[in-house]
Amino acid sequence: MAMPGQLMFARRLGPMARLLIWLLVGASCVAIDTRYHALDGLRSGFSLVLQPARAIMRTPFDIAAELGGFFVRHRLLQKERDALMTERARLLVDVNTAQELVRENAELRTLLQLQSRPGQRVVHAALLYRGHDWFAQRITLDQGGGAGLRRGLPVVDASGLVGQVSRVYPGSSEVMLVSSSGQLTPVLVERTGQRGLAAGNGRSQMDLRYMPAQTDIRPGDRLLTSGIDRLYPAGIPVARVSRVSRSQSSPYLRVECLPLAGLDRARAVLVLIADPQVTQP
Amino acid sequence: MNVATHTVGSWRRILGTLTLAVLLEQLPWSGLALALRPDFVLVGVLFWTLHQPARISFGAAFFLGLLADFQDGAVFGQHAIAYVVGVYLVLFLRLRLLQFDPLRQAAQLFPILLGVQLLVLLIGWLAVNPPTGLAMLLPVLSSAVLWYLIALFVRLWHGKGMQDRA
Repeated sequence: MAMPGQLMFARRLGPMARLLIWLLVGASCVAIDTRYHALDGLRSGFSLVLQPARAIMRTPFDIAAELGGFFVRHRLLQKERDALMTERARLLVDVNTAQELVRENAELRTLLQLQSRPGQRVVHAALLYRGHDWFAQRITLDQGGGAGLRRGLPVVDASGLVGQVSRVYPGSSEVMLVSSSGQLTPVLVERTGQRGLAAGNGRSQMDLRYMPAQTDIRPGDRLLTSGIDRLYPAGIPVARVSRVSRSQSSPYLRVECLPLAGLDRARAVLVLIADPQVTQP
Repeated sequence: MNVATHTVGSWRRILGTLTLAVLLEQLPWSGLALALRPDFVLVGVLFWTLHQPARISFGAAFFLGLLADFQDGAVFGQHAIAYVVGVYLVLFLRLRLLQFDPLRQAAQLFPILLGVQLLVLLIGWLAVNPPTGLAMLLPVLSSAVLWYLIALFVRLWHGKGMQDRA
């Protein structure tokens, strides 16, 4: 193809040939990455280089947030303190009850000769960067393999399940959000105990799939993780049912849910680390 | 502008602007700002391809595309391929683009940027959710064969070519 702006008998390859070569390289990149997952080293390299840059670039925003927080009115702080004191008192009661339950549980377990569940460790992580992929909703956290994270660990915030660690780098990690399309979470309906699969739909919402038409489910029902996958601990709040509709063409209900965790807002999250549980039959 | 290209595009300036573009993408974008965020790196690459094609073209675009793939947690190659195609389109339209004023340049770049974005979408879809086999491409082949048969038939029927008789 003749190209204006270039010599007629240039010694370099023409743009068309160079385009084709690079397209070939790109296509093999895609194939290697999707089929053989052989480019994770490159990903780690990029993450090592970009991690400090990201940390530096977000510093001004962190400082601004700190300053903004510093000037919160005294009055507001006092009010918050009072509210927190009340809540603390209430929680202390809960803690006592929980301790009692733990003790009782341990006794029962020893009675039943069961192995107790291995202790869970919690890693605090902060949101570093929000991904901009059209096919999956991801966030990047500032903790990685160094803090003991690995693929598949659940990530929660104060109000519910955020997602699952999907890639781990030395100093950071990527989390696939529960609302990401195709991300499945085994749940149960808190009110009825009905089990189901919640799937993200990629638009910050989730659908509860395969609910037969006569299922007892209403808007407002909470969905908790059911724990049958041995990946998520049981009982983490996941979503609240927002709309239930019947469709003519499908034998299943269409159940829309809103995730409870602040997927778009959360800055600080927790990663739950539990050793893989092996149960003997 | 053509005269000034040698002084405008020093290596230092090129690398500086591209680094700045990469750094801008590291800002903690969120919400509407994230949705509206221009692709700084792509704009930088295409700009330097337009003004300094001997220095910044396919290789740089491919590397920065890989960086963009990492950035979005996408499949490696997704943005790289799209950026390379964008560079090709800019090289193809280069002399035309250089004669336009900024507004017309932007208007000409719009379809290029749109094409790049659609290509990212297409490759991502193919990589994440590949259709079963490449059988969907068979109609392309059969259509080409059909074209050959029709053209052959028309030529045999009318003699040399239809356009002569119109």
